[in-house]
Amino acid sequence: MSDSGPVGFRVASDKPFLIGLGVLGGSYLLIIVAMVLADLVFLNYADQPLLGNEMVKQGRHVDSGVTVVTEKGRRYFFRAGKNETGLRSSGGAIFGTGLFTATDGEVTLLAVESGRPVTASLRPEVRLSGIAVTNNVATLTTDEPHGLLWGEFIRVSDADAAGWDGVREIADTTLHQISFALDSEGAQAGSLGLSKPNPLVQALRSRDIRFSIKLSLISCTLTTLFSLWVAVPIGYVMSRFQFRGKAVIDTLLDIPIVLPPLVVGLSLLILFRYMPEWLSDFVVYKWPAVVLAQFMVACAFAVRTMRVTFDQIPQRFEQVALTLGCNRRQAFWRVIMPQAKGGLLAAGTLAWARALGEFGPILVFAGATRQKTEVLPTSAFLELQAGRTEGMLAVSLIMIAAAAVVFIVARTLGMKRIFA
Amino acid sequence: MIRLENIMLRQGDFELRDIQLELAAGEYGVLMGRSGCGKTTLLEAVCGLRTVAAGRIILGDRDVTALPPAERGVGYVPQDRALFPTQPVREQLAFALVLRSLGQAEIAARVEELAELLGLGALLDRLPDKLSGGEAQRVALGRALAHRPSVLCLDEPLSALDEELHDEMCQLLERIHCETGVTVLHITHSPSEAKRLAGCHYRLANGRVESDE
Repeated sequence: MSDSGPVGFRVASDKPFLIGLGVLGGSYLLIIVAMVLADLVFLNYADQPLLGNEMVKQGRHVDSGVTVVTEKGRRYFFRAGKNETGLRSSGGAIFGTGLFTATDGEVTLLAVESGRPVTASLRPEVRLSGIAVTNNVATLTTDEPHGLLWGEFIRVSDADAAGWDGVREIADTTLHQISFALDSEGAQAGSLGLSKPNPLVQALRSRDIRFSIKLSLISCTLTTLFSLWVAVPIGYVMSRFQFRGKAVIDTLLDIPIVLPPLVVGLSLLILFRYMPEWLSDFVVYKWPAVVLAQFMVACAFAVRTMRVTFDQIPQRFEQVALTLGCNRRQAFWRVIMPQAKGGLLAAGTLAWARALGEFGPILVFAGATRQKTEVLPTSAFLELQAGRTEGMLAVSLIMIAAAAVVFIVARTLGMKRIFA
Repeated sequence: MIRLENIMLRQGDFELRDIQLELAAGEYGVLMGRSGCGKTTLLEAVCGLRTVAAGRIILGDRDVTALPPAERGVGYVPQDRALFPTQPVREQLAFALVLRSLGQAEIAARVEELAELLGLGALLDRLPDKLSGGEAQRVALGRALAHRPSVLCLDEPLSALDEELHDEMCQLLERIHCETGVTVLHITHSPSEAKRLAGCHYRLANGRVESDE
């Protein structure tokens, strides 16, 4: 009984291991999905009202609230603060955030606790007080400061004349005025509605961001082509041939992956100080620098992928091809590359995605000049710097969409290969 | 004719030295030996896939020691067959012929001939992953024979087949040998296979090739 021997031998269940794998893998996937969903959900896709200045003055709640004077029949935007439960007017009470129309000359902010600071916000909706047209340029006057800047966009709706409705780029602006160009000589509008287009529309309308989308798509594609062009031969050599110094080369190939991206950019910048002047004039702080910075990092990933791809194709195929009359080049093109198509696609997708996300090296090596070296990550950074989180998120969504499209195309092509 | 003169092969710690082997033209030679004794390495050397450290390899009346595999005129069927996964059977059979830039009609005729010899007529448009073991073996043979090599090198061609196919394939090999007159070097570890097929027996053991008459 003490020694049951091999008959009693049992293996521990695989379940804990499999569950562990599932939990670890699952939680990672969950975080990825949650991350993307959060981005998609955070943005408010509805157009926003134009709001005037803050009306609630800083102070403290006395008794149970604070009274604010309002204009009867006007719309206001209310956001409750840390110490407010809502707002009461003669027409009733509202809680939380939202637009409401004042029915009386005043409203009362409802405090949670008396004597504590007021943190709620109340802003009137901007109304039009005048419309003028000169030389096809419309100038709108508002009764409250509108807070819009030059280069931003405004949506005109419900105009009572043709040729006014649509999203317009603001050509000129002061505190109480907005000017934009009209399409053609049209009828004078007597009334119209104004709102702030949602951030995605703002981003897609912006000339800077349009340029950065274009530059990103072109530079990523160029980077991918160059990367594959280099990665295929390196991957093949590293997979098939044994030579002295191979370990050193292997290490060198990993440097761009291991090095902090910012350092890659700085190293490139310094390298180009030793280049002939015409070359560094052509590259540094210009679009070729964007491609080169992307290439340095993306290519390393493409090389890894191609090497694994070739490692997985047995050498026997080439050997047979050689005996059948191929030289090495013919064996490579006729027998090996057709089998490496899937890996090539994977390497290309990976390089493209890496290039799309490249930011640090581009910032250092190509700069962040609008309409010149601005790529999508740079746009996101510039938006953030300008204090527009929503704009940054909108640019991020454009990047997510671009990555998703490339991924789906690559997957579909890959599938075709498998089911053909 | 295959003649190996004082061949020396090195692969890491493994070494074969002073290998002598002579197989007359049109003979069917079987080289036996335990697994790991270097049979495959020696076959690869004959095909030119491995450089010899010393010695000479003579195929027919040519010294091919320094020639690349493509120029040796050998047909090679490796143990795992290594059919090209992306090409249908027809392309595999035509592979060597396309490389020799033969005309389309000529290639088609030769593929037809091979298909008939090997019973592949119905399989010409299939991809390798849709072939059974026996069919794949016949395609690999056809591919190796397409360019009419003077020497056919078979690396354990029957090892992965079941009893029935085994017998069928033996008959096929006999027929191919008879009809094409190709010199065959067939390596195996099965004595029954050797007894059935071979005109000449060789045994590779302890780094030497001995001829069993």
